[in-house]
Amino acid sequence: MVMKESLMDILCCPVDKHDLELTVDTKDDEEIIEGTLTCTECGEAYPIEDGIPNLLPPDMRDEAAA
Amino acid sequence: MKGTEWYQADEIAEAYDDKRFSGGGQFIDRREKTAVRNALGPVADKEILEVACGTGRFTVMLAQLGADIVGLDVSGPMLAQGREKAQAVGVDDTVEFMRGDAARLPFPDDHFDAVFAMRFFHLADRPVTFLKELARVSAGPVLFDTFNLESSRVLYNWLLPMGSRLYSRQAVESLLADAGVDLIDATHDFVLPYGFYRSLPTRIARPFRKLDRAIGSAGGGDRVASVSYWVVE
Repeated sequence: MVMKESLMDILCCPVDKHDLELTVDTKDDEEIIEGTLTCTECGEAYPIEDGIPNLLPPDMRDEAAA
Repeated sequence: MKGTEWYQADEIAEAYDDKRFSGGGQFIDRREKTAVRNALGPVADKEILEVACGTGRFTVMLAQLGADIVGLDVSGPMLAQGREKAQAVGVDDTVEFMRGDAARLPFPDDHFDAVFAMRFFHLADRPVTFLKELARVSAGPVLFDTFNLESSRVLYNWLLPMGSRLYSRQAVESLLADAGVDLIDATHDFVLPYGFYRSLPTRIARPFRKLDRAIGSAGGGDRVASVSYWVVE
């Protein structure tokens, strides 16, 4: 199971709550494996890593790097 | 938040379910799952968010009951465990896992029918901020649990590697007031701390569970309960 495109309907930027734009790098049917979610307002980019979107705000992303 | 570092390690995530919920821990697992089901009521076709879902124990259970559910956690390794669990029981289609911060959720206001966080508030350094944010994205109830001060948990708490915050009834009341939510329902459970059950093999744990239930259901059980479940709106 990896991120589905339908998830785009509910996700927003965790910082300013504006819409996100999806860029797909790797895809398998309707499922996105690698890609980026970019905020249409602040321009912050959130990675999709191994099918799991990482919507940690930028200040937490490095500290919580897994 | 202490758990932010503690739960990031792969080996902690991989061993988490085994360590917590095998042997005597099965009893805790079952009773907590029942508490979540009872508190949320029927979940079929409802949109639900679980914050701090960890390895997805509750996320996957609710998906099996028909919920359309998102599990959010800071830890990638814990979510990877959850994903395996969801795949194993075939609920991949109705579960989404993602990494995120409970204080800044990536969802619009009132998006979910219900939102819950289990075993989260005892690790929360800013409980008011978190509760407000959970309530923001829920159009319906928010469910969470607390470990209680004035219970046997106090002694056990010293042993925990990640530390843990205990709540008095008064602390919970002021948390709700500060977050601007109202109490809908509260239930109380477990006289003895979780670690006690976990340390026992299943066979030996049984009489203590009976005792726990007996004390818990007798008058005044609420006052000695070590865990409380709160439903707010």
